Amino acid sequence: MQKYEKLEKIGEGTYGTVFKAKNKETHEIVALKRVRLDDDDEGVPSSALREICLLKELKHKNIVRLYDVLHSEKKLTLVFEHCDQDLKKYFDSLNGEIDLDVVKSFMYQLLRGLAFCHSHNVLHRDLKPQNLLINKNGELKLADFGLARAFGIPVKCYSAEVVTLWYRPPDVLFGAKLYTTSIDMWSAGCIFAELANSGRPLFPGSDVDDQLKRIFKLLGTPNEDTWPGVTQLPDYKPLPIYQPSLGLAQVVPRLPARGRDLLARLLTCNPALRMPADDAMAHAYFHDLNPSVKNDRC
Amino acid sequence: MAGNFWQSSHHQQWILDKQDLIRDRQHDLGILSEEEYQKIFNFFASIIQVLGEQLKLRQQVIATATVYFKRFYARNSLKCIDPLLLAPTCVFLASKVEEFGVISNSRLITTCQTVIKNKFSYAYGQQEFPYRTNHILECEFYLLENLDCCLIVYQPYRPLLLFVQDIGQDDQLLTYAWRIVNDSLRTDVSLLYPPYQIAIAALHIACVMLSKENHKPWFAELNVDMDKIQEIVRSIINLYEMWKSYDEKKEIQALLVKMPKPKPAPQR
Repeated sequence: MQKYEKLEKIGEGTYGTVFKAKNKETHEIVALKRVRLDDDDEGVPSSALREICLLKELKHKNIVRLYDVLHSEKKLTLVFEHCDQDLKKYFDSLNGEIDLDVVKSFMYQLLRGLAFCHSHNVLHRDLKPQNLLINKNGELKLADFGLARAFGIPVKCYSAEVVTLWYRPPDVLFGAKLYTTSIDMWSAGCIFAELANSGRPLFPGSDVDDQLKRIFKLLGTPNEDTWPGVTQLPDYKPLPIYQPSLGLAQVVPRLPARGRDLLARLLTCNPALRMPADDAMAHAYFHDLNPSVKNDRC
Repeated sequence: MAGNFWQSSHHQQWILDKQDLIRDRQHDLGILSEEEYQKIFNFFASIIQVLGEQLKLRQQVIATATVYFKRFYARNSLKCIDPLLLAPTCVFLASKVEEFGVISNSRLITTCQTVIKNKFSYAYGQQEFPYRTNHILECEFYLLENLDCCLIVYQPYRPLLLFVQDIGQDDQLLTYAWRIVNDSLRTDVSLLYPPYQIAIAALHIACVMLSKENHKPWFAELNVDMDKIQEIVRSIINLYEMWKSYDEKKEIQALLVKMPKPKPAPQR
């Protein structure tokens, strides 16, 4: 721990406090995530272990780097690459509307990070603006893999209580237990709309019912024709029949037609039809993406 | 994390070179012969296996725990940590990483006590399992650090299932090969070769045992380094040869006495 000088508290993560700190030798700025070991029985919490072992395997430009893990008496400190802010704070600091080129760049980087995770059979499961880090160079990185998991090893069910309500897809809200990469793609869609609206959340539901109603008011209430099997989901309940509103142009007025098309493909209620990350990266919306963003290899 | 073995920490950091392995063991091999060293690891692999079975863990978790154990001592002498403490710590960590759910530490300790008393009294006599929760938690830190936090381990079981499917489903062949993979955990092959090669070697041995001549073309068509497969086969066959003339119940006590040990640490 002598290697780092703590500068300030940045926030609270899933399992501990995060500090900004400076490497005394290299003067590099890092983020230190202190892991609380309060439950004497569990040892190193499994959420921290999950993050450690996944980040050890996932090295990519759009995924936050884990530099080091420090052990000291009864404490574990994860040393991460430091980013200036998260997307939530970025929104808060905006003066007026967000630049549409920035929307495109952030969205592309989010999809590229996700495509990498998904190609490594890792689900993030908890995407939200607070978990997307932004640095001065306009780079976006996925962070907080505390709820992520590798899905290569077959397991029967995943816990339903994982995604922050606002970014949670309807299949998970209906209690689907066997979800896949599509869970992250819905969240990416919600974040896309929020980006285009300079930080106004798309579906800020207050509880599961409210969340579902907000979704269906925009996209129409699904039925067995539009989404075979929906009525068989464990927590399925009949909700008011809303017709799809013509609405995306009204919901994200600043987004061009191609962007709205991509958004519609991500915000698809039936998870089987939701667009995967690599397809989304190839969508026409990105054809005029700044080449410096696109060519940036990891 | 299936399918990306080539980019994994397992492939990039933890497929070791045989000469390096021998060099890193020099301290212990100054005290123990190579065969004695292997017998000690065979014994602790049994402890991990029995512990895992008592805790109703999947074989995948047990295998991961065994690989952690072997990786730790690939870089450290037996005198660094008592293997009787490291073994349950590996089980504890592997069960969290493999998302089996956390085993409560008190249940782990109780199981260790029962297992040592009921199944391994031939090694430990009347001695009780001497460690408590705080020892395991401290050891977990040490283990994590020595593994360089590389916790995702690829096992031969999944490639094995795919290969057997490819050959044409044969339950008897699968059962034999699966057991051979389990046995391979008592050799160094998990430190030296990628899991898919171990799976092929296990299949090869199983075919010979069952005299399945008809699968020969399948092996011939594989695009793998058959020299490596033969090396793995030899390691496993050597283990079986060793077992033929070895009575663990009679010999292990003396080996445990001879084993390098940590200096008694000051009581905390």
